[in-house]
Amino acid sequence: MLDNILMGFATAATLTNLSYCFAGVFLGTLIGVLPGLGSLAAISLLLPVTFYLEPTTALITLGGIYYGAEYGGSIASILLNLPGTPSAAVTCLDGNPMAKQGRAGVALFITAIASFVGGSLGIVALMAFGPAIAKIGLGFGPEDYFALMLLGLVAAVTVGTGSVIRSLIMVVLGLLLGTVGTDVTSGDFRYTFGFLELRDGVSLVGLAMGLFGIAEVASSITGSNARSVKHKVDMRSMLPTRKDMRATGGPILRGSSIGGFLGALPGAGTVIAAFLSYAVELRVARDRSIFGKGAIQGIAGPESANNAAAQTAFIPTLTIGIPGSATMSIMLGALMIHGISPGPLLMTDHPEVFWGLIASFWIGNLFLLVLNIPLIGIWVRVLQFPYKFIYPVVIALICIGVFSMRTSVFDVGIVVIFGALGYLMQRVGYSPATLILGFVLGPMLEENLRRAMLLARGDAIRILTDPLAGSVLALSALLLIWAMIGGVRNIIRKQRNTSDVVGEA
Amino acid sequence: MSKHLSLRLVVALIMVGIGLVGIVGATVYEFGSARRLGPGYFPMVLSVILVGLGLAEAITAVVSRFEDLSSRIEWRPMLAILAAVAGFALTIHFFGLIPAFFVCVGFTSLAEPDFGILPAAIIAAATSLLAWGLFSLLLGMTLPLIRFGF
Repeated sequence: MLDNILMGFATAATLTNLSYCFAGVFLGTLIGVLPGLGSLAAISLLLPVTFYLEPTTALITLGGIYYGAEYGGSIASILLNLPGTPSAAVTCLDGNPMAKQGRAGVALFITAIASFVGGSLGIVALMAFGPAIAKIGLGFGPEDYFALMLLGLVAAVTVGTGSVIRSLIMVVLGLLLGTVGTDVTSGDFRYTFGFLELRDGVSLVGLAMGLFGIAEVASSITGSNARSVKHKVDMRSMLPTRKDMRATGGPILRGSSIGGFLGALPGAGTVIAAFLSYAVELRVARDRSIFGKGAIQGIAGPESANNAAAQTAFIPTLTIGIPGSATMSIMLGALMIHGISPGPLLMTDHPEVFWGLIASFWIGNLFLLVLNIPLIGIWVRVLQFPYKFIYPVVIALICIGVFSMRTSVFDVGIVVIFGALGYLMQRVGYSPATLILGFVLGPMLEENLRRAMLLARGDAIRILTDPLAGSVLALSALLLIWAMIGGVRNIIRKQRNTSDVVGEA
Repeated sequence: MSKHLSLRLVVALIMVGIGLVGIVGATVYEFGSARRLGPGYFPMVLSVILVGLGLAEAITAVVSRFEDLSSRIEWRPMLAILAAVAGFALTIHFFGLIPAFFVCVGFTSLAEPDFGILPAAIIAAATSLLAWGLFSLLLGMTLPLIRFGF
C-alpha cells in the first residue's frame, strides 16, 4: 500500500507531469470562471489536446482541469451570482450575499480551503476503499456489470433535477447513439448511413462539444450584456477573521463526510452532495436566520462536500469502470482512447496510472490552493473581460480541437448537428449530461447484457434471480417507479395550481 | 404563449422521429435469439422505448400548458454560431487553417448586431496565432495553414 502511494508520487512528481498538472489546473480555472462553461465543457474542450500526451500525463492534466473548472465556477458564483455549474449554485446562496457585504475575499478564501480539505479527505477515501472495491469487482460477472450500469443510469435519471421523462429520453437517446458504429460481437455496421466515419461510432468529443460547448455559448450570448464585478478583491481582503475560522471547521468536516459518501454512489454526484450539506448545516446551525444572508457555514459545508464527492466519484469509475456522472464518463472515454480499459484490473495492470493519478489529485488540489490565492486578481479580471471577446475564441477552439483529433471535417459536422439539437433541448429543459452518460455506458451495457444472456442460456429468470444482479435490478426498478410516481404527482399538482390561477383570474 | 408550448412539443416530436428512424434502421440487423442476442436487439428495444417516451413527453407538453415560459429560441446567436462551425469545417477542408479561423470568427461575430469588423479581425488573427502555437509548435501536429486544394 505504502509502496504504491510512493510510486504514485514518483510518477506524478516528474517535471513533465507536474507542469501539465499545473497547466490543467490553470486552464481549468480559466474556463470555469467564464460564465456558462462548466467542468464538462472544460474537459471536453481540452480533451483533444491531451491525446498527444502519455496516458498518465493526459489523465493527470484532465484531473487538474476538472478541479480547476469546479473552483472557477465558485469564483463566478460568489462574485457575480452566476453559477457556472449546478453544484456551484449552492455556493451562490451565501457566497454572493457575502460579496455584497464586501467580504468576497473571505468567501473565496474559505472556498479554497474547504475545497482543499474536502478534496484531500475524498482522496484518502479513494485510497482506502479503491483497492478493496476493485477486489470485489473482480468477482463480478457480466450480469452484475449490466445490473450495476443500469442502476447508475437509473440513479442519474431519478436524482437529477428536472422532469423524469426528459431525463429518461436523454439516457435512451444516449444509449441509442452509443450503438452507432461497428457492432463488436457481429462486426455489423449499425446506423452508419453509408458514412465511413461513423464506423468508429459518433465522436465523443464532437458530441460533447456540440451539446455543451456550442449550445452553452449560443444561449449565454443573450445574457452577456450586463455583467460587472463591483467587489474589489485582493490578497489582503481574503484573510478570514478568527470567528470565521472557528465557524468553518465543523461544516467542512461534515461536508466532506457527506460528499465523500455520496460521491462514490452512482448518479448522486457533486450536486446532491452540495445541496445535502447545505441542508445539514441549516439544521445544525444555532441561528438559522443568517443563512442566505452571507453565512460562512453555507459556503464551507457545500464546497467541501462538492470537492469530496468529486474525488470519491473516481472510485466506481476507476475500480469497476462504471462512471457515476457525465464528467466521469468523459474521463472514462479518455482512458479508453488511450488504450486503457478501466475496471478491477486497472490497479494490477496499470498501477502507475492508478496511483499516479491519485497522487496527482493531491498535487492538483495543492496547486489549486497555491494558484488561487495569489492569482485571484487575474480571475477577477477575467470575469470583467467583455464576453464578446471570449466566445469567438471558444468557438474557434472547439472547431480546431474537434478537427485535430482525427483531422476529420465530418466530426466538425457532428458538432453542428448536436450543437443545434443541444441548443433546442437546453431551451426546453433537457439535461444533456445524462445523454453523455448513456452514450459512454451504452456499448458496455449491451456487451454485458449479451454475454450475460449467453451465459444464462437465454434464460432471463436466471439473471433476475441471481443474488447480486437480481437485487441491484430490483433496486433500479424501485427507484424508477418511485421517480415516475413523483413525476406524475408533480404534473398533477402543477395542473391544479395553474387551474387555480386561471380560476382566480 | 402558443409558440413556447410548441417548442417543447417540437423537441418531443424530434425524439419520436429519431426513435422511428432507429426502428426502421434496426429491422435490417439481425434480432437474434434470447440466448444469442443479435446486433438488432439492443437498438430495436431502445428505439421503441424512445418513441414511447417521446410520445409521453409530447402529450405532457400539450396537457401542461403553463410550463416553460422561458423557453424561446434566440435565432440570431444560434444560427451565427452554427454557421461559424459549419463554415470552419468547409473552409479548413478547401483552404486550410488560417482562412478557416477567419471564417469561423467572422460568422461568430454576427451573433450580436454591433460586434464590429475590427475586433473580429483582431480576434481571428490572435486565435490563428494561438492555435498555430499550440497545435503546430507545442504538440507537433501537421495542419495545413493555407492551401488551395480542391
